[in-house]
Amino acid sequence: MLVLGIETSCDESAAALVIDGRTILSNIIATQLDILQKYGGVVPEIAARRHTELIGYIIKEAMDFAHKTLKDIEAIAVTARQGLIGCLLVGVAAAKSLSYALKVPLVGVHHIEGHIFASLLSNPDLPIPHVCLTVSGGHTMLVFVRDYCQYELLGSTLDDAAGEAFDKIAKFFNLGFPGGPVIDGLASKGNRKAFNFPRPLLRAGTYDFSFSGLKTAIINTFKEKVAQNEPLPIEDIAASFQEAVVDILVAKTLRAASESNVSAISVTGGVSANRRLREVFNEKCQKAKIDVFFPELRLCTDNAAMVAAAGYHRLRLGLADNLNLNVLPNAPLEVQCAR
Amino acid sequence: MKVLGLDTSGYANAIGVVDGDCVLADFTFEARTDTLEKIVTHIDFMLKKANLQLEDIDGFGVGLGPGSWTGIRVGVTVGKILAFSTGKPICGVATLEILASQVTKPSKLFCPIISAGTRDTIYAAFYRRQNDLVERVDDYYVGDPAGLARRIKEPTILVGTGINAYLKAIRQEINSNINIELIEDSPRGASVALLALDRLQRGGDNALALAPLYLKESTARAFISQYTVAQTRG
Repeated sequence: MLVLGIETSCDESAAALVIDGRTILSNIIATQLDILQKYGGVVPEIAARRHTELIGYIIKEAMDFAHKTLKDIEAIAVTARQGLIGCLLVGVAAAKSLSYALKVPLVGVHHIEGHIFASLLSNPDLPIPHVCLTVSGGHTMLVFVRDYCQYELLGSTLDDAAGEAFDKIAKFFNLGFPGGPVIDGLASKGNRKAFNFPRPLLRAGTYDFSFSGLKTAIINTFKEKVAQNEPLPIEDIAASFQEAVVDILVAKTLRAASESNVSAISVTGGVSANRRLREVFNEKCQKAKIDVFFPELRLCTDNAAMVAAAGYHRLRLGLADNLNLNVLPNAPLEVQCAR
Repeated sequence: MKVLGLDTSGYANAIGVVDGDCVLADFTFEARTDTLEKIVTHIDFMLKKANLQLEDIDGFGVGLGPGSWTGIRVGVTVGKILAFSTGKPICGVATLEILASQVTKPSKLFCPIISAGTRDTIYAAFYRRQNDLVERVDDYYVGDPAGLARRIKEPTILVGTGINAYLKAIRQEINSNINIELIEDSPRGASVALLALDRLQRGGDNALALAPLYLKESTARAFISQYTVAQTRG
Protein backbone atom coordinates (compact mmCIF):
# COMPACT_ATOMS: atom_id res chain seq x y z
CA MET A 1 0.00 0.00 0.00
CA LEU A 2 1.40 3.36 -1.08
CA VAL A 3 0.79 5.96 1.64
CA LEU A 4 1.36 9.70 1.31
CA GLY A 5 2.45 11.12 4.67
CA ILE A 6 2.10 14.80 5.59
CA GLU A 7 3.73 16.44 8.61
CA THR A 8 3.33 20.12 9.57
CA SER A 9 3.11 19.93 13.37
CA CYS A 10 5.89 22.43 14.07
CA ASP A 11 8.31 24.22 11.79
CA GLU A 12 9.06 21.56 9.15
CA SER A 13 6.74 21.18 6.16
CA ALA A 14 7.17 17.59 5.07
CA ALA A 15 5.64 15.07 2.66
CA ALA A 16 6.71 11.51 1.90
CA LEU A 17 5.67 8.42 -0.02
CA VAL A 18 6.17 5.11 1.77
CA ILE A 19 5.16 1.60 0.68
CA ASP A 20 3.69 -0.72 3.33
CA GLY A 21 5.16 1.31 6.18
CA ARG A 22 8.55 0.00 5.16
CA THR A 23 10.03 1.33 1.90
CA ILE A 24 10.63 5.06 1.58
CA LEU A 25 10.18 6.29 -2.01
CA SER A 26 10.52 9.98 -1.17
CA ASN A 27 11.00 12.02 1.97
CA ILE A 28 10.73 15.76 1.31
CA ILE A 29 11.40 18.19 4.16
CA ALA A 30 11.29 21.97 3.89
CA THR A 31 12.80 23.46 7.01
CA GLN A 32 12.29 27.01 8.13
CA LEU A 33 15.85 27.32 9.34
CA ASP A 34 16.29 30.85 7.98
CA ILE A 35 13.33 32.03 10.04
CA LEU A 36 14.34 30.04 13.10
CA GLN A 37 17.78 31.56 13.06
CA LYS A 38 16.38 35.04 12.69
CA TYR A 39 13.95 34.70 15.59
CA GLY A 40 15.89 32.24 17.74
CA GLY A 41 13.04 29.73 17.69
CA VAL A 42 9.68 28.80 16.24
CA VAL A 43 7.12 31.58 15.84
CA PRO A 44 3.76 29.77 15.48
CA GLU A 45 2.06 32.34 13.22
CA ILE A 46 5.07 32.64 10.91
CA ALA A 47 5.43 28.85 10.76
CA ALA A 48 1.74 28.42 9.93
CA ARG A 49 1.99 30.98 7.12
CA ARG A 50 5.02 29.24 5.69
CA HIS A 51 3.24 25.84 5.77
CA THR A 52 0.32 27.30 3.81
CA GLU A 53 2.70 28.56 1.11
CA LEU A 54 4.71 25.32 0.92
CA ILE A 55 2.16 22.56 1.42
CA GLY A 56 1.23 22.08 -2.25
CA TYR A 57 4.81 22.23 -3.45
CA ILE A 58 6.13 19.64 -0.99
CA ILE A 59 3.33 17.19 -1.82
CA LYS A 60 4.07 17.59 -5.54
CA GLU A 61 7.80 17.23 -4.89
CA ALA A 62 7.23 14.01 -2.90
CA MET A 63 5.38 12.52 -5.88
CA ASP A 64 7.75 13.80 -8.57
CA PHE A 65 10.77 12.51 -6.66
CA ALA A 66 9.19 9.04 -6.42
CA HIS A 67 7.98 9.18 -10.07
CA LYS A 68 4.43 8.58 -8.89
CA THR A 69 1.18 10.29 -9.81
CA LEU A 70 -1.85 11.11 -7.66
CA LYS A 71 -3.59 8.00 -9.02
CA ASP A 72 -0.96 5.78 -7.38
CA ILE A 73 -1.68 7.03 -3.86
CA GLU A 74 -3.69 4.52 -1.82
CA ALA A 75 -4.04 6.37 1.49
CA ILE A 76 -3.23 9.69 3.17
CA ALA A 77 -1.65 9.87 6.63
CA VAL A 78 -1.23 13.17 8.44
CA THR A 79 -0.01 14.39 11.81
CA ALA A 80 -3.22 15.54 13.46
CA ARG A 81 -2.31 15.27 17.11
CA GLN A 82 0.22 17.14 19.24
CA GLY A 83 1.90 20.23 17.89
CA LEU A 84 1.16 23.86 17.16
CA ILE A 85 -2.53 24.14 16.33
CA GLY A 86 -2.15 26.62 13.47
CA CYS A 87 0.53 24.45 11.89
CA LEU A 88 -1.22 21.07 12.32
CA LEU A 89 -4.31 22.53 10.72
CA VAL A 90 -2.60 23.26 7.40
CA GLY A 91 -1.47 19.64 7.02
CA VAL A 92 -4.85 18.25 8.03
CA ALA A 93 -6.73 20.60 5.67
CA ALA A 94 -4.50 19.42 2.82
CA ALA A 95 -4.80 15.75 3.82
CA LYS A 96 -8.57 15.70 3.99
CA SER A 97 -8.86 17.54 0.66
CA LEU A 98 -6.59 14.94 -0.95
CA SER A 99 -8.47 12.07 0.65
CA TYR A 100 -11.77 13.50 -0.59
CA ALA A 101 -10.59 14.24 -4.13
CA LEU A 102 -8.68 10.96 -4.61
CA LYS A 103 -11.28 8.84 -2.74
CA VAL A 104 -8.65 7.13 -0.61
CA PRO A 105 -8.65 6.49 3.17
CA LEU A 106 -7.50 9.21 5.58
CA VAL A 107 -5.72 8.54 8.84
CA GLY A 108 -4.59 10.97 11.55
CA VAL A 109 -1.39 10.19 13.41
CA HIS A 110 -0.02 11.40 16.75
CA HIS A 111 3.29 13.19 16.27
CA ILE A 112 5.00 11.05 18.90
CA GLU A 113 3.61 7.91 17.31
CA GLY A 114 5.37 9.11 14.16
CA HIS A 115 8.70 9.33 15.98
CA ILE A 116 8.21 5.80 17.34
CA PHE A 117 7.78 4.57 13.76
CA ALA A 118 10.84 6.51 12.56
CA SER A 119 12.94 3.96 14.42
CA LEU A 120 10.93 1.01 13.07
CA LEU A 121 11.40 2.36 9.54
CA SER A 122 15.17 2.45 9.92
CA ASN A 123 15.44 -0.78 11.88
CA PRO A 124 13.22 -3.59 10.57
CA ASP A 125 14.58 -5.88 13.32
CA LEU A 126 13.59 -3.58 16.20
CA PRO A 127 11.38 -5.91 18.29
CA ILE A 128 7.97 -5.02 19.68
CA PRO A 129 7.46 -4.62 22.63
CA HIS A 130 10.25 -2.17 23.37
CA VAL A 131 10.84 1.02 25.31
CA CYS A 132 11.11 4.17 23.22
CA LEU A 133 12.75 7.39 24.36
CA THR A 134 11.61 10.13 22.05
CA VAL A 135 13.38 13.38 22.61
CA SER A 136 13.45 16.61 20.61
CA GLY A 137 13.14 20.36 20.93
CA GLY A 138 9.43 19.99 21.56
CA HIS A 139 9.09 16.89 23.69
CA THR A 140 10.85 14.36 25.93
CA MET A 141 8.87 11.17 26.44
CA LEU A 142 9.50 7.68 27.62
CA VAL A 143 7.02 5.29 26.04
CA PHE A 144 6.38 1.59 26.47
CA VAL A 145 5.51 0.35 22.97
CA ARG A 146 3.35 -2.66 23.83
CA ASP A 147 2.28 -3.44 20.29
CA TYR A 148 1.69 -1.65 16.99
CA CYS A 149 -0.33 1.45 17.89
CA GLN A 150 -0.55 0.46 21.56
CA TYR A 151 1.44 2.75 23.78
CA GLU A 152 1.84 3.46 27.44
CA LEU A 153 3.38 6.78 28.42
CA LEU A 154 5.87 6.08 31.22
CA GLY A 155 7.09 9.61 31.75
CA SER A 156 7.63 12.96 30.12
CA THR A 157 9.27 16.26 30.88
CA LEU A 158 7.80 18.47 33.58
CA ASP A 159 9.25 21.65 32.11
CA ASP A 160 11.66 22.07 29.18
CA ALA A 161 12.13 19.40 26.55
CA ALA A 162 15.73 18.15 26.36
CA GLY A 163 16.26 19.70 22.95
CA GLU A 164 14.73 22.91 24.21
CA ALA A 165 17.37 23.01 26.96
CA PHE A 166 20.05 22.71 24.25
CA ASP A 167 18.39 25.51 22.29
CA LYS A 168 18.06 27.78 25.28
CA ILE A 169 21.64 27.26 26.43
CA ALA A 170 22.88 27.90 22.89
CA LYS A 171 20.73 31.01 22.73
CA PHE A 172 22.01 32.22 26.11
CA PHE A 173 25.62 31.92 24.91
CA ASN A 174 24.71 33.36 21.49
CA LEU A 175 25.77 30.19 19.70
CA GLY A 176 22.91 30.13 17.18
CA PHE A 177 19.90 27.95 16.49
CA PRO A 178 19.23 25.05 16.67
CA GLY A 179 21.34 24.44 19.74
CA GLY A 180 21.76 20.68 19.48
CA PRO A 181 24.36 20.40 16.71
CA VAL A 182 26.25 23.48 17.98
CA ILE A 183 26.60 22.15 21.51
CA ASP A 184 27.35 18.66 20.21
CA GLY A 185 30.23 20.17 18.22
CA LEU A 186 31.60 22.31 21.06
CA ALA A 187 31.24 19.49 23.59
CA SER A 188 33.45 17.20 21.52
CA LYS A 189 36.33 19.60 22.23
CA GLY A 190 35.56 20.07 25.95
CA ASN A 191 36.02 18.23 29.22
CA ARG A 192 32.85 16.42 30.28
CA LYS A 193 33.91 16.40 33.91
CA ALA A 194 34.93 20.07 34.17
CA PHE A 195 31.69 21.00 35.90
CA ASN A 196 29.43 18.81 37.98
CA PHE A 197 26.05 20.14 36.92
CA PRO A 198 22.93 18.83 38.67
CA ARG A 199 21.03 15.88 37.23
CA PRO A 200 17.43 16.62 38.26
CA LEU A 201 15.17 13.69 39.12
CA LEU A 202 17.95 11.23 38.27
CA ARG A 203 17.31 9.02 41.25
CA ALA A 204 13.65 9.85 41.79
CA GLY A 205 11.24 6.92 41.42
CA THR A 206 9.53 8.62 38.51
CA TYR A 207 10.18 8.37 34.77
CA ASP A 208 9.50 12.09 34.41
CA PHE A 209 12.24 14.51 33.39
CA SER A 210 13.15 18.07 34.35
CA PHE A 211 15.76 20.19 32.56
CA SER A 212 14.87 23.68 33.67
CA GLY A 213 17.00 23.57 36.87
CA LEU A 214 20.00 22.30 34.92
CA LYS A 215 19.69 25.24 32.59
CA THR A 216 19.60 27.66 35.55
CA ALA A 217 22.68 26.02 37.09
CA ILE A 218 24.61 26.66 33.88
CA ILE A 219 23.52 30.25 33.66
CA ASN A 220 24.56 30.74 37.31
CA THR A 221 27.97 29.20 36.60
CA PHE A 222 28.38 31.61 33.72
CA LYS A 223 27.46 34.57 35.92
CA GLU A 224 29.95 33.48 38.60
CA LYS A 225 32.73 33.18 36.04
CA VAL A 226 31.92 36.58 34.62
CA ALA A 227 31.71 38.18 38.08
CA GLN A 228 35.12 36.76 39.03
CA ASN A 229 36.60 37.79 35.69
CA GLU A 230 37.60 34.20 35.02
CA PRO A 231 37.90 32.92 31.44
CA LEU A 232 34.80 31.19 30.16
CA PRO A 233 35.56 27.61 29.12
CA ILE A 234 32.59 27.35 26.75
CA GLU A 235 33.64 23.93 25.40
CA ASP A 236 33.83 22.55 28.95
CA ILE A 237 30.46 24.01 29.87
CA ALA A 238 28.92 22.54 26.72
CA ALA A 239 30.49 19.13 27.36
CA SER A 240 29.45 19.06 31.03
CA PHE A 241 25.94 20.23 30.23
CA GLN A 242 25.55 17.65 27.48
CA GLU A 243 26.89 14.94 29.79
CA ALA A 244 24.30 15.80 32.43
CA VAL A 245 21.44 15.60 29.90
CA VAL A 246 22.78 12.34 28.44
CA ASP A 247 23.18 10.79 31.93
CA ILE A 248 19.57 11.55 32.80
CA LEU A 249 18.16 10.29 29.50
CA VAL A 250 20.20 7.08 29.47
CA ALA A 251 19.66 6.18 33.13
CA LYS A 252 15.87 6.61 33.01
CA THR A 253 15.52 4.73 29.72
CA LEU A 254 17.61 1.79 30.93
CA ARG A 255 15.61 1.58 34.15
CA ALA A 256 12.36 1.68 32.16
CA ALA A 257 13.61 -1.12 29.92
CA SER A 258 14.58 -3.29 32.83
CA GLU A 259 11.38 -2.64 34.78
CA SER A 260 9.25 -3.26 31.67
CA ASN A 261 11.15 -6.51 30.99
CA VAL A 262 12.02 -5.63 27.41
CA SER A 263 15.23 -6.44 25.63
CA ALA A 264 15.26 -3.48 23.26
CA ILE A 265 15.41 0.29 23.45
CA SER A 266 14.69 2.74 20.67
CA VAL A 267 15.84 6.36 20.81
CA THR A 268 14.17 8.79 18.39
CA GLY A 269 13.55 12.50 17.81
CA GLY A 270 15.95 15.32 16.94
CA VAL A 271 18.15 14.85 20.02
CA SER A 272 18.73 11.19 19.10
CA ALA A 273 21.13 12.55 16.47
CA ASN A 274 23.41 13.70 19.30
CA ARG A 275 26.71 11.79 19.02
CA ARG A 276 27.43 11.58 22.74
CA LEU A 277 23.91 10.33 23.46
CA ARG A 278 24.35 7.55 20.93
CA GLU A 279 27.78 6.70 22.30
CA VAL A 280 26.64 6.40 25.92
CA PHE A 281 23.50 4.46 24.98
CA ASN A 282 25.57 2.00 22.96
CA GLU A 283 28.08 1.60 25.81
CA LYS A 284 25.53 1.18 28.63
CA CYS A 285 23.17 -1.03 26.64
CA GLN A 286 25.97 -3.35 25.68
CA LYS A 287 26.80 -3.80 29.38
CA ALA A 288 23.13 -4.36 30.25
CA LYS A 289 22.72 -6.77 27.30
CA ILE A 290 19.94 -4.67 25.82
CA ASP A 291 19.72 -3.90 22.11
CA VAL A 292 19.55 -0.21 21.28
CA PHE A 293 18.23 1.23 18.00
CA PHE A 294 18.36 4.71 16.49
CA PRO A 295 16.71 6.01 13.32
CA GLU A 296 19.00 6.99 10.47
CA LEU A 297 19.84 10.68 10.76
CA ARG A 298 17.32 11.96 8.19
CA LEU A 299 14.51 10.32 10.19
CA CYS A 300 15.57 11.74 13.57
CA THR A 301 14.09 15.20 13.07
CA ASP A 302 10.50 15.78 11.98
CA ASN A 303 9.66 14.10 8.69
CA ALA A 304 6.64 12.69 6.89
CA ALA A 305 8.00 9.21 6.16
CA MET A 306 7.48 8.28 9.81
CA VAL A 307 3.92 9.62 9.59
CA ALA A 308 3.22 7.54 6.50
CA ALA A 309 4.62 4.44 8.27
CA ALA A 310 2.53 5.04 11.39
CA GLY A 311 -0.52 5.71 9.20
CA TYR A 312 -0.04 2.46 7.31
CA HIS A 313 -0.10 0.46 10.53
CA ARG A 314 -3.12 2.35 11.88
CA LEU A 315 -4.97 1.57 8.64
CA ARG A 316 -3.90 -2.07 8.83
CA LEU A 317 -5.47 -2.18 12.31
CA GLY A 318 -8.70 -0.58 11.09
CA LEU A 319 -8.07 2.81 12.67
CA ALA A 320 -8.91 5.02 9.68
CA ASP A 321 -10.43 8.44 10.29
CA ASN A 322 -13.26 10.11 8.37
CA LEU A 323 -13.31 13.51 6.65
CA ASN A 324 -14.23 15.21 9.92
CA LEU A 325 -10.71 14.59 11.23
CA ASN A 326 -9.71 17.49 13.46
CA VAL A 327 -6.48 18.65 15.07
CA LEU A 328 -5.78 17.99 18.76
CA PRO A 329 -2.71 20.04 19.74
CA ASN A 330 -2.46 18.53 23.26
CA ALA A 331 -3.71 15.01 22.63
CA PRO A 332 -2.24 12.42 24.99
CA LEU A 333 -0.45 9.52 23.33
CA GLU A 334 -2.53 6.81 25.02
CA VAL A 335 -5.67 7.84 23.14
CA GLN A 336 -3.91 6.32 20.14
CA CYS A 337 -4.39 2.77 21.42
CA ALA A 338 -5.84 0.23 19.07
CA ARG A 339 -9.33 -0.85 20.05
CA MET B 1 -18.54 26.21 -16.57
CA LYS B 2 -19.24 24.82 -13.12
CA VAL B 3 -17.38 26.55 -10.31
CA LEU B 4 -17.18 25.76 -6.60
CA GLY B 5 -16.59 28.84 -4.45
CA LEU B 6 -15.62 28.93 -0.80
CA ASP B 7 -14.69 31.49 1.82
CA THR B 8 -13.73 30.59 5.39
CA SER B 9 -12.35 33.94 6.51
CA GLY B 10 -15.09 34.84 8.94
CA TYR B 11 -15.76 31.95 11.34
CA ALA B 12 -18.14 30.45 8.78
CA ASN B 13 -17.83 28.05 5.88
CA ALA B 14 -19.44 29.87 2.96
CA ILE B 15 -19.79 27.46 0.04
CA GLY B 16 -21.53 27.92 -3.29
CA VAL B 17 -21.75 26.13 -6.61
CA VAL B 18 -22.55 27.91 -9.86
CA ASP B 19 -22.94 26.84 -13.47
CA GLY B 20 -22.20 29.91 -15.54
CA ASP B 21 -24.39 32.68 -14.14
CA CYS B 22 -26.77 30.20 -12.56
CA VAL B 23 -26.42 29.55 -8.81
CA LEU B 24 -26.93 25.83 -8.19
CA ALA B 25 -26.34 25.86 -4.43
CA ASP B 26 -25.24 28.44 -1.88
CA PHE B 27 -25.06 28.22 1.88
CA THR B 28 -23.07 29.63 4.78
CA PHE B 29 -22.44 27.23 7.64
CA GLU B 30 -21.74 28.68 11.08
CA ALA B 31 -18.27 27.40 12.05
CA ARG B 32 -16.77 29.29 14.95
CA THR B 33 -14.41 26.50 16.04
CA ASP B 34 -15.05 23.73 13.55
CA THR B 35 -14.07 25.37 10.25
CA LEU B 36 -11.40 22.73 9.65
CA GLU B 37 -13.40 19.81 11.02
CA LYS B 38 -16.41 20.38 8.76
CA ILE B 39 -15.05 22.08 5.65
CA VAL B 40 -14.77 19.03 3.39
CA THR B 41 -18.04 17.53 4.67
CA HIS B 42 -19.73 20.87 3.98
CA ILE B 43 -18.29 20.96 0.46
CA ASP B 44 -19.53 17.43 -0.17
CA PHE B 45 -22.97 18.38 1.16
CA MET B 46 -23.21 21.39 -1.17
CA LEU B 47 -22.07 19.40 -4.20
CA LYS B 48 -24.79 16.86 -3.48
CA LYS B 49 -27.29 19.74 -3.19
CA ALA B 50 -26.23 20.77 -6.68
CA ASN B 51 -26.49 17.17 -7.88
CA LEU B 52 -22.82 17.19 -8.76
CA GLN B 53 -19.67 15.32 -7.89
CA LEU B 54 -16.27 16.87 -7.40
CA GLU B 55 -15.22 15.55 -10.82
CA ASP B 56 -17.97 17.66 -12.45
CA ILE B 57 -16.44 20.91 -11.16
CA ASP B 58 -14.47 22.82 -13.82
CA GLY B 59 -12.75 25.26 -11.48
CA PHE B 60 -12.51 26.67 -7.98
CA GLY B 61 -12.78 30.10 -6.40
CA VAL B 62 -11.48 30.78 -2.92
CA GLY B 63 -11.72 33.76 -0.59
CA LEU B 64 -8.19 34.83 0.32
CA GLY B 65 -9.15 37.02 3.28
CA PRO B 66 -8.46 39.28 5.04
CA GLY B 67 -10.16 37.91 8.14
CA SER B 68 -9.42 35.16 10.65
CA TRP B 69 -5.83 34.08 9.89
CA THR B 70 -6.60 30.51 10.87
CA GLY B 71 -9.82 30.56 8.87
CA ILE B 72 -8.23 31.74 5.63
CA ARG B 73 -5.45 29.19 5.94
CA VAL B 74 -8.05 26.41 6.00
CA GLY B 75 -9.92 27.78 2.98
CA VAL B 76 -6.83 28.53 0.91
CA THR B 77 -5.23 25.15 1.69
CA VAL B 78 -8.39 23.20 0.91
CA GLY B 79 -8.89 25.23 -2.29
CA LYS B 80 -5.35 24.80 -3.58
CA ILE B 81 -5.18 21.08 -2.78
CA LEU B 82 -8.60 20.37 -4.36
CA ALA B 83 -7.45 22.23 -7.49
CA PHE B 84 -4.12 20.42 -7.47
CA SER B 85 -5.61 16.96 -6.97
CA THR B 86 -8.38 17.38 -9.55
CA GLY B 87 -6.14 19.18 -12.03
CA LYS B 88 -8.68 22.01 -12.36
CA PRO B 89 -7.89 25.74 -12.26
CA ILE B 90 -8.36 27.94 -9.21
CA CYS B 91 -8.68 31.65 -8.64
CA GLY B 92 -8.21 33.56 -5.38
CA VAL B 93 -10.50 36.47 -4.60
CA ALA B 94 -10.06 39.08 -1.85
CA THR B 95 -12.86 38.67 0.69
CA LEU B 96 -13.36 42.46 0.63
CA GLU B 97 -14.08 42.22 -3.09
CA ILE B 98 -16.57 39.42 -2.47
CA LEU B 99 -18.46 41.65 -0.05
CA ALA B 100 -18.39 44.60 -2.48
CA SER B 101 -19.68 42.41 -5.31
CA GLN B 102 -22.71 41.48 -3.24
CA VAL B 103 -23.98 45.08 -3.08
CA THR B 104 -26.64 45.25 -5.78
CA LYS B 105 -27.27 49.02 -5.61
CA PRO B 106 -26.07 51.04 -8.59
CA SER B 107 -23.29 53.69 -8.65
CA LYS B 108 -21.95 54.97 -5.32
CA LEU B 109 -18.86 53.95 -3.50
CA PHE B 110 -18.83 50.64 -1.60
CA CYS B 111 -16.65 50.11 1.43
CA PRO B 112 -16.54 46.53 2.71
CA ILE B 113 -15.29 46.26 6.29
CA ILE B 114 -13.91 43.16 8.03
CA SER B 115 -12.95 42.96 11.71
CA ALA B 116 -9.26 42.33 12.32
CA GLY B 117 -9.95 40.43 15.52
CA THR B 118 -9.42 43.33 17.89
CA ARG B 119 -12.13 45.86 18.67
CA ASP B 120 -10.52 48.87 17.05
CA THR B 121 -8.72 47.39 14.05
CA ILE B 122 -10.48 46.77 10.78
CA TYR B 123 -9.61 45.77 7.23
CA ALA B 124 -11.35 47.76 4.51
CA ALA B 125 -11.15 48.98 0.92
CA PHE B 126 -13.17 51.14 -1.45
CA TYR B 127 -14.82 49.68 -4.53
CA ARG B 128 -16.81 51.21 -7.36
CA ARG B 129 -19.07 49.36 -9.78
CA GLN B 130 -17.94 49.57 -13.38
CA ASN B 131 -19.61 47.61 -16.19
CA ASP B 132 -21.13 44.99 -13.88
CA LEU B 133 -17.84 44.46 -12.07
CA VAL B 134 -16.57 46.02 -8.86
CA GLU B 135 -13.16 47.63 -9.00
CA ARG B 136 -11.00 48.60 -6.10
CA VAL B 137 -10.19 52.29 -6.25
CA ASP B 138 -7.73 52.62 -3.35
CA ASP B 139 -5.17 50.66 -1.36
CA TYR B 140 -6.34 48.19 1.26
CA TYR B 141 -6.88 49.85 4.63
CA VAL B 142 -5.78 48.41 7.98
CA GLY B 143 -6.39 50.57 11.04
CA ASP B 144 -9.05 52.02 13.30
CA PRO B 145 -12.55 53.02 12.10
CA ALA B 146 -11.82 56.74 12.59
CA GLY B 147 -8.86 56.55 10.21
CA LEU B 148 -11.07 54.89 7.61
CA ALA B 149 -13.71 57.58 8.08
CA ARG B 150 -11.20 60.29 7.23
CA ARG B 151 -10.89 58.72 3.78
CA ILE B 152 -14.63 58.96 3.11
CA LYS B 153 -15.35 62.05 1.01
CA GLU B 154 -18.59 61.09 -0.75
CA PRO B 155 -21.76 59.04 -0.13
CA THR B 156 -20.65 55.51 0.69
CA ILE B 157 -22.24 52.17 1.40
CA LEU B 158 -20.49 50.30 4.19
CA VAL B 159 -20.88 46.55 3.98
CA GLY B 160 -19.84 43.76 6.33
CA THR B 161 -20.72 41.79 9.46
CA GLY B 162 -21.35 43.67 12.73
CA ILE B 163 -20.35 46.99 11.16
CA ASN B 164 -22.89 48.84 13.27
CA ALA B 165 -20.25 48.73 15.99
CA TYR B 166 -18.00 51.07 14.00
CA LEU B 167 -20.71 53.51 12.94
CA LYS B 168 -20.33 55.89 15.89
CA ALA B 169 -16.58 56.23 15.44
CA ILE B 170 -17.01 56.74 11.70
CA ARG B 171 -19.80 59.33 11.99
CA GLN B 172 -17.71 61.42 14.39
CA GLU B 173 -15.01 61.82 11.77
CA ILE B 174 -16.93 62.64 8.63
CA ASN B 175 -18.91 65.59 7.36
CA SER B 176 -22.55 65.13 8.40
CA ASN B 177 -23.66 66.01 4.83
CA ILE B 178 -22.12 62.83 3.51
CA ASN B 179 -24.66 60.05 3.38
CA ILE B 180 -23.53 56.77 4.89
CA GLU B 181 -25.53 53.62 4.40
CA LEU B 182 -24.99 50.31 6.18
CA ILE B 183 -25.55 46.88 4.69
CA GLU B 184 -25.14 43.94 7.02
CA ASP B 185 -23.78 41.08 4.91
CA SER B 186 -21.24 38.27 4.97
CA PRO B 187 -19.30 36.78 2.05
CA ARG B 188 -21.19 34.06 0.17
CA GLY B 189 -19.71 31.08 -1.59
CA ALA B 190 -21.72 31.68 -4.77
CA SER B 191 -20.32 35.22 -4.96
CA VAL B 192 -16.76 33.84 -4.85
CA ALA B 193 -17.64 31.37 -7.59
CA LEU B 194 -19.18 34.07 -9.80
CA LEU B 195 -16.19 36.36 -9.36
CA ALA B 196 -13.82 33.49 -10.09
CA LEU B 197 -15.76 32.33 -13.17
CA ASP B 198 -14.51 35.03 -15.51
CA ARG B 199 -10.90 34.89 -14.33
CA LEU B 200 -10.83 31.09 -14.49
CA GLN B 201 -11.70 31.24 -18.16
CA ARG B 202 -8.56 33.30 -18.56
CA GLY B 203 -6.45 30.64 -16.79
CA GLY B 204 -6.75 31.47 -13.10
CA ASP B 205 -3.95 31.47 -10.54
CA ASN B 206 -1.10 29.06 -9.86
CA ALA B 207 -2.75 26.68 -7.38
CA LEU B 208 0.44 25.71 -5.55
CA ALA B 209 1.51 29.33 -5.07
CA LEU B 210 -1.86 30.56 -3.84
CA ALA B 211 -1.40 32.44 -0.55
CA PRO B 212 -3.82 34.12 1.86
CA LEU B 213 -4.24 37.88 1.94
CA TYR B 214 -3.36 38.60 5.56
CA LEU B 215 -2.81 42.38 5.21
CA LYS B 216 -1.08 42.29 8.61
CA GLU B 217 2.28 40.93 9.70
CA SER B 218 2.39 38.49 12.58
CA THR B 219 3.12 40.24 15.88
CA ALA B 220 6.57 38.68 16.07
CA ARG B 221 7.57 39.83 12.59
CA ALA B 222 6.24 43.33 13.26
CA PHE B 223 8.23 43.40 16.49
CA ILE B 224 11.43 42.29 14.76
CA SER B 225 10.98 44.86 11.97
CA GLN B 226 10.55 47.65 14.52
CA TYR B 227 13.51 46.35 16.48
CA THR B 228 15.69 46.28 13.36
CA VAL B 229 14.66 49.79 12.38
CA ALA B 230 15.37 51.06 15.90
CA GLN B 231 18.79 49.41 15.83
CA THR B 232 19.75 50.89 12.47
CA ARG B 233 18.71 54.30 13.71
CA GLY B 234 20.58 53.40 16.90
